[in-house]
Amino acid sequence: MATKLKLTQEGVVFVLAALLFVGFSLVLDRFLTVGNIIALVQSVSILGILSLGMAFVVIGRGIDLAMVATMVVAVAWGLVLSRSGLPLGAALLLGAGFVVLIGILTGIIVAYAEIPAIFTTLAMGSIVYGIGRTFFFQIDVQNTPVGYAWFDFLGRGTMGGVPVPVFAFACVALVVFLMLRYTRFGRFVYATGDNPLAARVTGVPTRVVMVAQYVITGLIAYLAGIVMAANVSGMNTRIYNSTMIYDVLLVVVLGGIGLSGGRGGVRNVLVGTALVGILLNGMTILNIGYTAQNLIKSVILLGAIVIDTLINPRDEQTAQQGDI
Amino acid sequence: MSILELRKATKEFRGVPAIKDIDFTLEKGEIHAILGENGAGKSTLTKAFAGVHQLSSGEMLLDGEPIALSSPHDALERGIAMVFQETNLVPSMTVAQNIYLGDEMLFNRLRGLYIQAQQFLAGMNFQVDPTALVSSLGAAHKQMVEIARAVQKKARVIIFDEPTASLTPEEKNHFFGLVRRLVKQGVSVIFISHALEEALMLADRITILRDGQHVVTDKASNFDRDRVVQAMVGRSLTSQLHGAGKKVARPYGKKLLSVQNLSSGSMVRNTSFSIFAGQVTGVFGLVGAGRTETMKVIAGVMKRDFFHGGDVLLEDRPVRYRIPRQAVRDGIVYVTEDRKIEGFFETMSIAENIQIGEEATHVNPLAVVSMADARKNAKDWIDRLSIRAINASARIIELSGGNQQKVVIAKSLTQEPKLVIFDEPTRGVDVGAIVEIHQLIERLADEGFGVVVISSYLPEIMALSDRILVARQGKIVEEMSADEATEQKIMYAAVH
Repeated sequence: MATKLKLTQEGVVFVLAALLFVGFSLVLDRFLTVGNIIALVQSVSILGILSLGMAFVVIGRGIDLAMVATMVVAVAWGLVLSRSGLPLGAALLLGAGFVVLIGILTGIIVAYAEIPAIFTTLAMGSIVYGIGRTFFFQIDVQNTPVGYAWFDFLGRGTMGGVPVPVFAFACVALVVFLMLRYTRFGRFVYATGDNPLAARVTGVPTRVVMVAQYVITGLIAYLAGIVMAANVSGMNTRIYNSTMIYDVLLVVVLGGIGLSGGRGGVRNVLVGTALVGILLNGMTILNIGYTAQNLIKSVILLGAIVIDTLINPRDEQTAQQGDI
Repeated sequence: MSILELRKATKEFRGVPAIKDIDFTLEKGEIHAILGENGAGKSTLTKAFAGVHQLSSGEMLLDGEPIALSSPHDALERGIAMVFQETNLVPSMTVAQNIYLGDEMLFNRLRGLYIQAQQFLAGMNFQVDPTALVSSLGAAHKQMVEIARAVQKKARVIIFDEPTASLTPEEKNHFFGLVRRLVKQGVSVIFISHALEEALMLADRITILRDGQHVVTDKASNFDRDRVVQAMVGRSLTSQLHGAGKKVARPYGKKLLSVQNLSSGSMVRNTSFSIFAGQVTGVFGLVGAGRTETMKVIAGVMKRDFFHGGDVLLEDRPVRYRIPRQAVRDGIVYVTEDRKIEGFFETMSIAENIQIGEEATHVNPLAVVSMADARKNAKDWIDRLSIRAINASARIIELSGGNQQKVVIAKSLTQEPKLVIFDEPTRGVDVGAIVEIHQLIERLADEGFGVVVISSYLPEIMALSDRILVARQGKIVEEMSADEATEQKIMYAAVH
């Protein structure tokens, strides 16, 4: 084995995150406090869960820009149903059903009609949000019903001093890791993302894999939404109009999961989440305005995508042999 | 007086010469046919004229003046136009717009353009509506538009690459008339063709290339079919390396696959044949003969399968695969001719690549897979196919072409197939690996597998096959046993 240290994107990002952490700790006196670290980890855990979902679909050479829309609408609908008399558990199950339906629909459009995922999910996001605001609820902030201790526990409880959302993040990370690494389905996702044509010829059911991807990603997003709603006692559907989906993409791309598919894994998401979380938290403490924060994030995202394209070119065309 | 001339022209791709030391002259107002097998260098030669390729060494002269063409645009400026096999028209524009593409005036009046085009087309006696959209035209009309465009650009030399491949007999006659008219107007014509009869009939002179080298140039009247075929296949050293000693054909095993009147799209036309277990069936044909397409339809790889008909029977059971997964699970695997595009997974290791093949034959998606098993399995294949790599965890992208090909083959063989279809199994593979892959193919047949080998290289077909199928225009037109086959016979059947 070579002892030479290889400079991977993952490694660079990890070092950057560590440097930022140390830097902020030295410069900002409010950064390295127990309260702030808990706030940081909590805010990061929801972003992290969403990013795990996104990573899943990006590894399969897709993208899901409708994640946030699916999340806010399905959760808000569940809350509406429960306040109208349904038990919360049953209401949330119905919400999950909605998520699965949207995932299947998206998957079918992408896999069978072969519409690029980026357009499909962009449109799907608007459609889902529109359906939500038109048919499911009119008020854009939906509060959680009172009297469900288990639900509050999901968002605000602690286990051995660690907030439950952090546990949720860890659990989802573990499940996604096991699924990608040790199941047949996970291997198929990598194969489909790496080279869909080769996967198809080899006998991988690529279309089924793609549909399943969008369903799973939707469900992971839904879980993030539930934790979020439990944490702040309600779901603010205006999040759909925020930059959250870009934060998620930022985590995934920064972490080193190539948008060309087949590359990266859960570890990349963890590293990316750490960097973005520290960055956002530090900027907030530094009192950088919301708009300026967006500017900084966007520049970083664009830079990361450019670097990603340079490192992982999609080169089926250039890979063709010289025509003789 | 020659209008276009090449002296000692050589073009290399990554150090490998595609054409070598070629001398060529095109006289003013002549029709010059260039013939040769696949890979003989015809396309490279004409693309050098058209400015697509730049010569590695040697000279090109236009009207006796040395020139260096930097791009197709440059060539066009100097009056050399090329009409490609696939047309270069913009489908969403009208005929007139295509003809004047690139020569539009700043204020472009469509009406004026249509009148101008109408007169221009009438002048050439082309029956095409200038206001029609190109996407609505048939192959023959598209070609007319392309020719009209070349003439409009004041081309003095027009190069046709397989102009008649997509035409019906009637359209072909029309095309020949057109070419003769062009020549009368002083245009010189070069055309590449696989159709010997057409070349003999139409051309003034014929040049034959083989393995990138000039074989002969002579008046068309001094050629006949036999002499052309002889010149095309007559082989030197390379054939002795491959075809050393005629082999004894293996006996027929049980009938594995039976194809009856299969049609699909425009490339597979009502073809019928059978494949038997325990022998190698070689499929030969020139480019565009529909060999790959036929096999892809059988293996379910072909994606668009709209206009189809006919039956495929696997061990007497009718099958019609829409996706490869079904075919793979029934025991038909297809080893692609283009491993980078649809063969291997570039981010993965050898073991992971082979593992995907193995896993794809199973159903349960939640089954746990073991990397240790995958590495062990891969190690077996590395030994069996003598794949040269550090270990099973080596990334496939770091291997040589031959070893990559072996991994792709292993990925298919681990699926326990009954019928293995190899499409150009030794393309882009080094000499040592070619021998090993050939030995592997022979071994598979000895072990009772049904083996199909598609190849454009005659010596390869001759060396491997127990039975040879020859494809032409989307159809298997000839079947012969290895004992009776000769290169001349096969080539005879493959050209039309």
